[in-house]
Amino acid sequence: MTRIRTKLIVALLIVGGAVAYLVQAGVRGGWVYSMDADAFLQRTEFHDRRVRLSGKVAWENVESNPASLMAKFDLESNDQKVPVVYRGPIPDMFRPGHDVVIEGRLDAEGVFQADVLLTKCASKYDEASPHGEGETMMEADQ
Amino acid sequence: MIPTLGTLTLAVAAVACVAVVISSLSAARFDSRGALRAARWGLVGYAALITIASAFLVTALLQSDFRLEYVASYTERALPTGYKLAAFWAGQQGSLLLWAGMIAWMSAFAAWSRSSNRGLGEAVTLGVLAVICGFFACLLLFAANPFEVVAGAVPADGRGLNPMLQDLAMLAHPPTLFLGYAGFAVPFAAMAGALAERRTDARWLVDIRRWVLFAWLALGIGIIIGAWWAYIELGWGGYWAWDPVENASLLPWLTGTALIHSMIMQEHRGVFKRWNVALLAATFILCIFGTYITRSGIVSSVHSFGESLVGTFFFVFIIVLLIGSMGIIAWRWWLLAPQRRLASLLEREGVVLIANVVLVLMMLITLVGTMLPVITRTFMPNEITVDQSFYNRIVAPMGLALVGFMALAPALVYGQQAGRRLGRGLIVPVVAAVLVTALVIGLGVRNVWALLAAFFAALAASAVAVNFLHSLRMERAHAQVGWVSAAARLLDSNHRRWGGFVVHLGIALIVIGFAWSSLFPEKTTHQVTPGQTFDVGRYSLTFKDLEEQRRENYTAVVAVVAAVLPDGTTIDVSPERRFYDKAEESSAQVAVRSGLREDLYLILAGWEAGGKVVALQAIINPLTIWIWIGTGVLTLGSLICLAPRIGKAAGVALNGGKRHAEDITKDMRAPATNRSSADTGEREDSRTSPRRPHRPVLEPASAAMFNPADSSPTRLSTGPA
Repeated sequence: MTRIRTKLIVALLIVGGAVAYLVQAGVRGGWVYSMDADAFLQRTEFHDRRVRLSGKVAWENVESNPASLMAKFDLESNDQKVPVVYRGPIPDMFRPGHDVVIEGRLDAEGVFQADVLLTKCASKYDEASPHGEGETMMEADQ
Repeated sequence: MIPTLGTLTLAVAAVACVAVVISSLSAARFDSRGALRAARWGLVGYAALITIASAFLVTALLQSDFRLEYVASYTERALPTGYKLAAFWAGQQGSLLLWAGMIAWMSAFAAWSRSSNRGLGEAVTLGVLAVICGFFACLLLFAANPFEVVAGAVPADGRGLNPMLQDLAMLAHPPTLFLGYAGFAVPFAAMAGALAERRTDARWLVDIRRWVLFAWLALGIGIIIGAWWAYIELGWGGYWAWDPVENASLLPWLTGTALIHSMIMQEHRGVFKRWNVALLAATFILCIFGTYITRSGIVSSVHSFGESLVGTFFFVFIIVLLIGSMGIIAWRWWLLAPQRRLASLLEREGVVLIANVVLVLMMLITLVGTMLPVITRTFMPNEITVDQSFYNRIVAPMGLALVGFMALAPALVYGQQAGRRLGRGLIVPVVAAVLVTALVIGLGVRNVWALLAAFFAALAASAVAVNFLHSLRMERAHAQVGWVSAAARLLDSNHRRWGGFVVHLGIALIVIGFAWSSLFPEKTTHQVTPGQTFDVGRYSLTFKDLEEQRRENYTAVVAVVAAVLPDGTTIDVSPERRFYDKAEESSAQVAVRSGLREDLYLILAGWEAGGKVVALQAIINPLTIWIWIGTGVLTLGSLICLAPRIGKAAGVALNGGKRHAEDITKDMRAPATNRSSADTGEREDSRTSPRRPHRPVLEPASAAMFNPADSSPTRLSTGPA
């Protein structure tokens, strides 16, 4: 009976070891610091790493071109702005004033190059629907 | 009228739950049958009240009664009737009402279907169900009342349903998922009852195994419908993004999967008792936790819902459930000692144990990954999130390893000799899997993950096939019938074994679909003008024109695209962008052409110069359809497991009357022969009368059952020697 117990412990150790190996690989590749845009500007130690930033799409300087899968905008939080160039499919709900989450890194010119753009699709779920009516639709007007 | 009546109904329902709790307590204290019956009736009454409240909400939704905040928030007059109904579960309050309704009916059904059960255990079970029901009633009443009246003037029209939710899958996804969540409440309550009554044998597991399987199936189908919905609605070409809300539904599915397997071990062998009660408690708590994550907005997610009092309610309830479950398990800890020890790591129990550990680790890693932003936000200066690659690098390989364990299943038996038999049973499947993998390499696939997936899936499928064919031959020789009736008899002889293997085949197909569609999608972007033809993979596409079409409650801009398939036929694949009247943004409607080999997935990304130039994103997703086909197979297998045994009469009918009467009598004598040793597992139901599942259950530790010499029937399960 003790032999089987030893075997069992060895088997579980192997499983545990394999999982630990996977976890450290996953942590190295998939571990992303996230912060608001203004915090990111203050913390230079994150300027050469891949990070996830959240903030609002600023009202000015938004250039969105769904046909060429590219958007330029400023990410704003607490009145501080990070210039962003995003390449990829533009989500349906991307528009000025909306909360977005982007992922990428800062380039040498100080422009944040993002390859992930997530919009919070929540306006219909939130308690209030605060956005005004009648703004232009990004995709339609160009 | 409706707002007042609705709220009133909810209040009465909450009171009913309190009454049920009180009467079950007194039934437990005084062993009173009357009190127990009152508790049963109380649960049925609660279910009726929640149904009445739901009917009020449905009426208000269909009549566009915008006095109700909920109706005004999620519908509009122009919404098609089906989506007005679906709006029932589009928002927080309504979906919690749906949850409450599901739990109410499950509880009422459980109360009556178990009406022969008496005593302390049943009283505790009903009491726990009433506490869960009462929680939802109070939640609806105080934190998420769907009958809230609008502040100020009644609006002329509602704000409309989120365009993303205006999809057929939306009609099916939340109810199915909730059915799964709610389904685990009954086994959870039954566990509390069994432990209170000191019943730690496997009988209570037999009572709940159909519930567990049903809940597991509903949860799995719900998850896959959600994935399908994301695939056709979110328009990024994928179906699973490891989003917190998606992860939340996966967590109980993982522990539920572990539970289904280890429950069988307890039934047959009297082991894993502590593990089973812990898994069952964890599964139900994770169901509640999943709702908490979804509804509280605690993890910022692309699905996030507003934060509210609802989150606090759920948080407190989870703490109560956690403390309660841990308390009751600790209270009966010594009663839950295993009845025997493991004989070999390569016998069924050993492999199930290790596979269970892998499943639970998958759950824990997904849980930690999902909650990491919350954990780090609370305890560290920087918030850390994990992206998809975290899960893809950890959980996906673990899932693949599980498919490897799954492949062993048909060749696994109990007892000392298990290792040797496992080796023999796997020879043919391993050869088959190596051949399949070689074929895949020959087709040009070099990706190691894809090859591993192909190998394990082929191993799993061929192990089932080999085992089935072998058993079929034995059955045919034994019963002296034709192939077809032998197959029918064999399937009917042990629904759980063969149904379970059909589920495994479904999982193998799903894994292949996951692997290929996530490893080898080809994405291209095309800027085209009307009349222009371009090639995507094996398809030749022609963009004809950009059209504007007015439909019920939106205007669609349609890129009319004709695709010429490799076989020369032309089909229409026209992606759209829809401008819903009540939505601020446009939403993409993809065009998907599914084939057995690949999906052609087309997105209208945008246009310029008034439609003279259009950007189309095309994705070729290989083998995606096998995810949905595999889910169908999995459902079929689970239904086989759930179905009652058809029995001897059907066997005669299937046989076309060819069998002689003496064969039938021989069969009827069969239970007396000792063919159904629990050692074989798969034969335990086969030769016994249909209503004899209890025999191996009650005395799993009797010496005769794991006598190594008693190995003759076991040959049936090991495949060709």
